[in-house]
Amino acid sequence: MKKDNVTKVVATILKVLFLAALIVFTLYPVLYALMGSLKTNMQLVLGDGFFPKTWEFKNYVYAFQKLNFFRYTANSLILCTICTVLAIVVSSMAGFCMARYDFPLKKALNVLYLALMFVSLGSVTIYPVYMMMNKAGMTNNLLGLALVITGGQASNIFLVRGFVNSVPRDLDESAKLDGCGKFKTFIYIIVPLIRPIIAVVGLFAFRNAWNDYITSMIFTIGKKSLQPLTVAVVSLRYSVNAAAEWHIMAAGASIAIVPILIVYIFTNKQFISGLTAGAIKG
Amino acid sequence: MLLPNVIMFSIFTLYPVCWVLKYMFYQYDKVHEPIFIGLDNFVRLFTRDPYFWKTVGNTFYYVGLKLIITLPIAFIVAVILNRKFFGSETIRSIIFLPTIMCSSVMALIFYLILNPYSGALNMILQRLHLIGAPINWLSYQNALTTCVIVGVWGAIGNYMVYFMAGLQSVPQEIYESAELDGITAPQKMFKITIPMMMPVIKTVVMLALIGSFQDMQSIMVLTEGGPNGASDVMFLYIYRMFFPVSATTASTAQYGYGAALSVVCASIIGIVTFAYLQATKHMDDIY
Repeated sequence: MKKDNVTKVVATILKVLFLAALIVFTLYPVLYALMGSLKTNMQLVLGDGFFPKTWEFKNYVYAFQKLNFFRYTANSLILCTICTVLAIVVSSMAGFCMARYDFPLKKALNVLYLALMFVSLGSVTIYPVYMMMNKAGMTNNLLGLALVITGGQASNIFLVRGFVNSVPRDLDESAKLDGCGKFKTFIYIIVPLIRPIIAVVGLFAFRNAWNDYITSMIFTIGKKSLQPLTVAVVSLRYSVNAAAEWHIMAAGASIAIVPILIVYIFTNKQFISGLTAGAIKG
Repeated sequence: MLLPNVIMFSIFTLYPVCWVLKYMFYQYDKVHEPIFIGLDNFVRLFTRDPYFWKTVGNTFYYVGLKLIITLPIAFIVAVILNRKFFGSETIRSIIFLPTIMCSSVMALIFYLILNPYSGALNMILQRLHLIGAPINWLSYQNALTTCVIVGVWGAIGNYMVYFMAGLQSVPQEIYESAELDGITAPQKMFKITIPMMMPVIKTVVMLALIGSFQDMQSIMVLTEGGPNGASDVMFLYIYRMFFPVSATTASTAQYGYGAALSVVCASIIGIVTFAYLQATKHMDDIY
């Protein structure tokens, strides 16, 4: 009995140590950025202590005023809003159709969605899209960028379709008897019932748009004033006196991190359950 | 109502695939008109481009090491957190946190932390007297492994959540009846949990495999594939065929060759996935 207790204590200690190490590993870079953004460059480069000695809020003032970060933040917010709305509208309507209606080529479309979900050509696909959008005059344009980031939405459609399938068809039928058309059925019957999955689609669209880097960089290549935060922050690394301005890099990174952190604090349950839903259906 | 999606799907998903399938047979760069050259891109790729195969090797190293580190850690965390205790939900949220962070911005932060002279990591290690002299984490020898660690940082939370969902699906009665038989903790782990989880583990490994092959955003910011190609992965190499303007290297774009490369890469991933599925076929028979 005594030996049992000893192993139990040891196991608990090991567990705690393991979790503690993992939490430090996970949080350290984030805290480093947040703390670093409030330090003087001197303190940051000398690695002098974890907490700021003097609270240098002027790093942020500098980023916002001199480096145009107001503009980049606004760009990011606009981009995210368009992407979220687009993703929700497009994929919920398409998922609804795929779940409820038969139409010619439905099977073919289904196969195509599935097949291309698993083909990964990498960033190559950006180039032809870029050329096409360029011809259409949609590059250096936040709406065009939002369209590209939103893209085909195949996995979201499967998510929505699965959810619509769980709504009893009788509801549609009775709505039809009451004189609801396709569109009205969708708005008044389906949408209120599939709200949880719409929230997940929206949340992930928001995250993807906020965090996108490569696509945004390419599509704003000719126009710095349209860059979203991620692109602007990373480009600080290549600016002329990058070596000397770690505190500004940290401040820029924090400006990009904090909004999504705040969103995460309020929605982490949805994020986590949404990921599971996506994995099971996908 | 389906129309908006069909249009967007055709433009942003279908069209690029067709484009790639066409231009992989062309010599196509910024200056000249595209010329049809048949299979020459593939001949070049297989016979005259050792650098590409180096990036393929790097990719396999990256993917393999990342999976070997990430998945066991994620599994152990999931098992620990599966039993609710005070603070377990908070810990879960913290460990999931990197999943929602922008990998390029975080790569920039890692770039600062890993800096050999002013970076925090070397300073901490030196103060703890674990190392004598600063280590250059982004040197030729270390760069790729460092990229793996940054990749692991971003991936643990994701797979932890998958494993936790899987653990929920193991019926509780099995544990209860096993406990009546006086099972020990390690037996519980190896005789019940892992065998019951096999189908889930199999799927998670596949998702991790496909996902890790495509990682390039953080590597792009952290090392740009350097120094001297030490941490170059295949998708980053392809990326430079299309968008050659980077801070350190300048070359001309080669769209046709890039298209051929991307088809080969997609095939490599396809073959690996298929081989993996074949090799693990029997694992579904557990139930």
